Amino acid sequence: MRKGGFRKTIEIIIFTLFMFFLFAPLFSMGIWSVALRWYWPNTLPQEIGLDYWLQALGITKSLTLGAVNVIPAFLLSLGIAIIVVIITMVIAIPAGYSLAKLKIPALLKGMILILFLLPRAFPQQPVFINLMLMFNKIGITGTVFGVILVHLVVGLVFAVWITASTFSSIPPELEEAARSVGASRLKAFLKVTLPISTPGLIASAVFVFLTSMDEFTGTFFIGIPFVTTLPMTLYSASGSNIQFASVIAILLLIPSILFMIIIQKFLKAEHLGGIGG
Amino acid sequence: MANNLKNKLAVGKSKIGSGAERPHSYANILPYILVFPAVMVILLLYLYPFLSSFWKSFISKEGALSLANYEKTLHLYRYDILFTMGVTAFSTFIATVLSILVAVYLRLTKGWLANSIGILYRLPIFLPFVVIAQMMRSFLAPHGILNLFLAKLGLINIENPLQLFNWVGLTFGFVWKQAPFMILIILGGFQMIDNSYIEAAKSVGAKLPQIITKVLIPMNKPTILIAVTLVFCSLVGCFSFPYMLIGGKTPVTITVDIAHRVNYFGDYGVANALGVFSYILVSLLAIYYVKSMMKKGIYD
Repeated sequence: MRKGGFRKTIEIIIFTLFMFFLFAPLFSMGIWSVALRWYWPNTLPQEIGLDYWLQALGITKSLTLGAVNVIPAFLLSLGIAIIVVIITMVIAIPAGYSLAKLKIPALLKGMILILFLLPRAFPQQPVFINLMLMFNKIGITGTVFGVILVHLVVGLVFAVWITASTFSSIPPELEEAARSVGASRLKAFLKVTLPISTPGLIASAVFVFLTSMDEFTGTFFIGIPFVTTLPMTLYSASGSNIQFASVIAILLLIPSILFMIIIQKFLKAEHLGGIGG
Repeated sequence: MANNLKNKLAVGKSKIGSGAERPHSYANILPYILVFPAVMVILLLYLYPFLSSFWKSFISKEGALSLANYEKTLHLYRYDILFTMGVTAFSTFIATVLSILVAVYLRLTKGWLANSIGILYRLPIFLPFVVIAQMMRSFLAPHGILNLFLAKLGLINIENPLQLFNWVGLTFGFVWKQAPFMILIILGGFQMIDNSYIEAAKSVGAKLPQIITKVLIPMNKPTILIAVTLVFCSLVGCFSFPYMLIGGKTPVTITVDIAHRVNYFGDYGVANALGVFSYILVSLLAIYYVKSMMKKGIYD
């Protein structure tokens, strides 16, 4: 009995520490986003309100240093992410299907797989720098098109893995059965494989959407100073105004948490680490 | 696109018509057609710039083949290279120990406390580093909540707060983001281990530390190694967080030095030499990762 009580106490101490380290940073960000006056060393702000939220969302005008209306940045990020998802999935679904279901000689397949593993294993920043040099030559640095291309590279690697693993989890007998009763390969794919794999493909698309919304390093080198996505506005507000930066950070984390809670059961654990590196 | 679909339709029909594999039918090149666009994108927009970072690191400012960039890199940044290696290895180590302990706890414990931890711990996995950077800038600041809290507890003097915009804050943020990701992977591995192994160990008198070191960790070694690899490699390449937390101060990580080299000096030679050093830092683990993923069949 005494032993049980001791264990329970330890468990509660661990739980408290865990909750503190998990939530205190989030709490810090939340409270800064509503802090109007907070003079050190007060534990809590003297005055709170939604002024910075209203200014950031463009509802009230502001002359505060570092004040930005984040709505245009949000719409730009959203537009880029939607285009990136469409292009990426159009390219990734056939590739994933081919790698998972069709015959490719072992050596060639191995080379393709290594190609898709490299971006996961090696730092990507030096690659973006050289991509920037390439894009300079053809004049697409600082353009939305250039940023879309760099987001495409980041998202495509994950999309191909996730679609390939989705397709390979579907027993080949299903498609074979459809084809044995006369369905063409395309029809068997559209009527049998595609419907079963829809959850996995949607998960993959949402994942690509989030990598694009959160992408920092590639946009920093390819997009700046003309393409200001939401992470870029967060970066520039971060140095000048902690309240605005906190508001933008919260706006950025809302879609991440929302979508990931919905799709995480369709994703392999290893892929989840790929968000916002 | 429409043409492509028609071709695929034709493939199906011809196969049914002939009833056997025809050596020159579309079916033979279909796999290559489908995978071609994805491979081209990665070849052009990833592999080419990846390889050119090696090549450009050997080209001096005058355009000649030389080791000048490496000399300059070692002269200016050798301490930062060591710093990157140190802080990444240290963060990965702390995250690994912490995540194994939490995963063991979640594997062996039932009840509402364990259940709530089992759900809540995932939160940081979904946050991008740029958000974590902003969060830590306010949380770890000299006048931030952590210092206020520690001062209230009487652990520090408020006039002399902890300065955390350095390797300590970097480690804190890295662990905050990556330990949960490691718990997710390692716990997944632990759950594959049947209860009977743990019961068997208990029945021969094994205590908790032995169950961890003799049963759970050895049986889950590949999963733990993959988690360590993914975390170490992603931290070496992490740019936004050190850039926003430490920025222009020294010592700082390689990624921040690369950005400064490019933005302030337009010096791509040294930036690429630094890039090659970051490749070298991850090379052993990266090769292990690629090899083990190839052996596993990757998407199975």
